[in-house]
Amino acid sequence: MIVAQSNPQSAPSPQGATELALEGVWHVVVLNDPVNLMSYVVMVFKKVLGFDETKARRHMLEVHEQGRSVVWTGLREKAEAYAFTLQQWHLTAVLESDGEAR
Amino acid sequence: MEKRVEVKLELPSVAPLLDVIKAAADSLQDGLAAPLAMKEIEGEFRDAWSGELLAGQNKDVGALLALFDSNFFATGWISFTEKNAEAIVRACSALRLRLRGRFLPGLTDEALESGEVELTALEETVRKAFMSYVFLATIQEVIIQHLDSSIIDS
Repeated sequence: MIVAQSNPQSAPSPQGATELALEGVWHVVVLNDPVNLMSYVVMVFKKVLGFDETKARRHMLEVHEQGRSVVWTGLREKAEAYAFTLQQWHLTAVLESDGEAR
Repeated sequence: MEKRVEVKLELPSVAPLLDVIKAAADSLQDGLAAPLAMKEIEGEFRDAWSGELLAGQNKDVGALLALFDSNFFATGWISFTEKNAEAIVRACSALRLRLRGRFLPGLTDEALESGEVELTALEETVRKAFMSYVFLATIQEVIIQHLDSSIIDS
């Protein structure tokens, strides 16, 4: 069962170096879509990832202008939870291992 | 005290769009508006995710459709509250994605984004779909403008 992390206060805590070394680092990448409003994407980033307005707008613009933005990095299990929650909000999210993301 | 936004809609303008919105809603019953793009997720896990996402999507769309009840048809008023705002704003996203994919394939992304579409040049079904697409975006903008903090803090 996926437990969606949608409350900023319950955002995953930083991982220890040992855990990351064992499991690898994964990135949650949001891809551009031509439908969702910019204001909606900003709100979703604030809600799901706990970003402040400035950071949410920066990532939204990155998605809009470059087609993708890495919005979270860490352990795979938590990356999956974030990706699931972003999909609940109809944003297209993918996971990439450290070697794949640019 | 619960925050509440009430909006009066023009029935003659909105009522014809509801058939299109309902058709888009029906087409979402067994498919996600934004299909899972994650190739890394294994089959069984992927199915479980899709099932949960679909159930949530249908619940959200139900909350949106519930706005247009007998009271709406009698008065033209709809209400957004701290309780229904999150589901409705998500449902609008799902329905807009579906309208874009299935009902508006002939329009470019640029035209849809700018809203610069020659309505009189469109066939009636496409025109209604485009107006529904814009209408749902307007609902989202009203909710985000007035209930953004309620959604983020919930």
